[in-house]
Amino acid sequence: MSDQCSRLRRSRTKITVLCLLITVIVLHGTFNRVNPDSAAEENRNHHAGAEAPRKRVDTRRLLEEAQNDSAQADNNNDKSYAEFDIAKILVDEEGGNEKPDPNKPYSLGPKISDWDQQRSEWLTNNPNFPNFIGPNKPRVLLVTGSSPKPCENPVGDHYLLKSIKNKIDYCRLHGIEIFYNMALLDAEMAGFWAKLPLIRKLLLSHPEIEFLWWMDSDAMFTDMAYELPWERYKDSNLVMHGWNEMVYNDKNWIGLNTGSFLLRNCQWSLDLLDAWAPMGPKGKIREEAGKILTRELKGRPVFEADDQSAMVYLLVKEREKWGEKVYLENAYYLHGYWGILVDRYEEMIENYHPGLGDHRWPLVTHFVGCKPCGKFGDYSVERCLKQMDRAFNFGDNQILQMYGFTHKSLASRRVKRVRNETGNPLEVQDKLGLLHPSFKAVKISDSS
Amino acid sequence: MGLDSFTPQKRFSTGGGGGALPINNHDATAAGRNRGVPRGRQLHKTFNNIKITILCGFVTILVLRGTIGVGNLGSSEADAVNQNLIEETNRILAEIRADSDPNDPDESTETGLNPNVTYTLGPKISDWDQQRKVWLSGNPEFPNFVNGKPRILLVTGSPPKPCDNPIGDHYLLKAIKNKIDYCRLHGIEIVYNMAHLDKELAGYWAKLPLIRRLMLSHPEIEWIWWMDSDAFFTDMVFEIPLSKYDQHNLVIHGYPDLLFEQKSWIALNTGSFLFRNCQWSLDLLDAWAPMGPKGPVRDEAGKVLTANLKGRPAFEADDQSALIYLLLSQKGRWMDKVFVENQYYLHGYWAGLVDRYEEMMEKYHPGLGDERWPFVTHFVGCKPCGSYGDYSVDRCLRSMQRAFNFADNQVLKLYGFSHRGLLGPNIKRIRDETTTPLEIVDQLDIRRSVTGKTKSKS
Repeated sequence: MSDQCSRLRRSRTKITVLCLLITVIVLHGTFNRVNPDSAAEENRNHHAGAEAPRKRVDTRRLLEEAQNDSAQADNNNDKSYAEFDIAKILVDEEGGNEKPDPNKPYSLGPKISDWDQQRSEWLTNNPNFPNFIGPNKPRVLLVTGSSPKPCENPVGDHYLLKSIKNKIDYCRLHGIEIFYNMALLDAEMAGFWAKLPLIRKLLLSHPEIEFLWWMDSDAMFTDMAYELPWERYKDSNLVMHGWNEMVYNDKNWIGLNTGSFLLRNCQWSLDLLDAWAPMGPKGKIREEAGKILTRELKGRPVFEADDQSAMVYLLVKEREKWGEKVYLENAYYLHGYWGILVDRYEEMIENYHPGLGDHRWPLVTHFVGCKPCGKFGDYSVERCLKQMDRAFNFGDNQILQMYGFTHKSLASRRVKRVRNETGNPLEVQDKLGLLHPSFKAVKISDSS
Repeated sequence: MGLDSFTPQKRFSTGGGGGALPINNHDATAAGRNRGVPRGRQLHKTFNNIKITILCGFVTILVLRGTIGVGNLGSSEADAVNQNLIEETNRILAEIRADSDPNDPDESTETGLNPNVTYTLGPKISDWDQQRKVWLSGNPEFPNFVNGKPRILLVTGSPPKPCDNPIGDHYLLKAIKNKIDYCRLHGIEIVYNMAHLDKELAGYWAKLPLIRRLMLSHPEIEWIWWMDSDAFFTDMVFEIPLSKYDQHNLVIHGYPDLLFEQKSWIALNTGSFLFRNCQWSLDLLDAWAPMGPKGPVRDEAGKVLTANLKGRPAFEADDQSALIYLLLSQKGRWMDKVFVENQYYLHGYWAGLVDRYEEMMEKYHPGLGDERWPFVTHFVGCKPCGSYGDYSVDRCLRSMQRAFNFADNQVLKLYGFSHRGLLGPNIKRIRDETTTPLEIVDQLDIRRSVTGKTKSKS
């Protein structure tokens, strides 16, 4: 009997131990998973949507208290930028979203019919702000922009920064002004359509501007020496990169590109913007329009209406009305699709030189589909970012050579000296003549 | 794991039906499988078996759930994709942020600066004023005065690699947009530097070789205006009264009593200052540079500066302390051409300004440039591009956003918009569209009001 008892005891003990082990494993597994998630969730719910200032103060105090509590061990916690959630700060006070009247058709603004006259009167009265700053040189405003909120991709803002530096450099050399937009002027025309109300607003507020040059934030200048052939466009009001056959014959949705285009400041342009806008308002209109565009245009995938497809559609449908003043340029890369350009930079450096603007040395390398600011693009992140670095350096080399430097390689951030300092700096001209280029020369009568 | 091993346990733990002697029951158990046993007992056994099966099944599911998340099959795909994307991005991010360059053959062969050789910014030039004058008369299409105003070049910059955290890059972007806006309104050109021109003078010293290089390459520039990347323009109308400085070559914000009497290390601020393009400036840069070369030179210099300047903590030599020390020790040589400005905020320390923006908007107006409406709000110590600042991150970022919106409102006013609040990204319309936009434009365009003033002066 004692034999049985001890066997009993042993097996009971075995089983108890086994069950204990299983319980421990299960508990370990569940609680480790649950903790980090739930804490973050709580924080987010707690601090989002702080509306009234009082509430904001409370939240902030709580945040500070919470940080103090959790940071007992680490005093520098609140001075550390790691893991800080900027969304807690970028919060608007009142809601106040005015809902547009659904019955009223969308319009960019009250119809203006005499803009050419208003503008020419203004120009006559303001000789200090001429619309031509040189004999063949119109006053140009380059317009670009990005979201006022930080990019979802952690390096997105860095690439936006490099991109704007690149544009600053080109525009400084060519006497072009820049407007960097970070405001959404019209909530209905969000996304790629946001440029329309912005362009209209700028044209009307700056009558001294002759051409407005819209450029996407993911486009970079890769030919710093190329000056646009302004005389070529003296009879045109809209200049886009594209091919007539692809647009009018093929109705191809990528027959032209609205990532980089010129728009003259005149009545025609206002009318064009009004005709372009109707497919833009977000929601049902944009979606329905998207279906029409996919049906009508060649090669277009299914998605909501975008400004580029809408432009193709507009030109195809109303060619007689607009076609005459639209110049589809393809003699140089006013927009250059990056996929076919970026691998050839070394070849270009060996065989050609800046100032050509075309396939031999592209004016603009446009990273369509990369979307460095967003989370998902159409191409691999690695290829996009590495190539953007190369394009940036390719363009930057042309700027640095003015000062006697160049990047160590197209992939490298570091620079090396290629021209020694001298005691007579003014005798040395940079090879490309970009320090004092002719297209930047001031009219002699202006100097006082 | 058969139920056989549990059978004895079940039998003894339930106890109820197990009143019989073990031997008998044991026999009965063994036998019970093969031969018939009393019905109640069999039923009981079955029940217990089922209970244990369920219990074991339950435990198995829990364990599996804990380890491989079997219950989340539906969302795992999206999670997996997200996870992959995040991992890939992180890997590329790490590569991009890496300081070392795999393609750089020269890196390992560069030796440190020989401390016996004095560092120089470049070959000594002694006749720059003459060279420049000759060039300007030979190049009338690149004058140093345009529309009656001297040509100014605003120089700023940031490191070539991404900031230690993404917020830093976002505020660098906002800061450069802010500068672009001011400079467009005032006809100033911008150079944004992202290259280390001189390995010795890295960090805050990098501005010295850059300024010298730009001066020598652009004789048409009359004034070079260095501005830190963490400084924001907050008065879009105010223009620097350059005619005030006709007899001076360096304009810097500071306080003479702090400088001469207290010898304080923050008597001047080199986050925003102007250098005239002339021989004097080249000489000053040459005299300023020696404390800069990194390594033992900079460290030793730091000790000298801490010993001589009031309130300076112990760290390597920085350009600001070095300039103060230089101007103090060679006062006679330099000070007559240095204008220590404090009538307006050529540099405005942020802490005392950012909380008063609402009060300013209520009582004052742009164009004043001073404590009523600061020209520049400079976020010293915040260091949003790094990992740690000297102040709380929340306070810094909040304040930077407020300064940005405060300034942006002045730009958007022409277009009929304004930010809803000083923190949020959204804007609201403050003026309806009209069919005669040019009437408003004449009143509101800052550029017009600024040029009008200049013209009337000349």
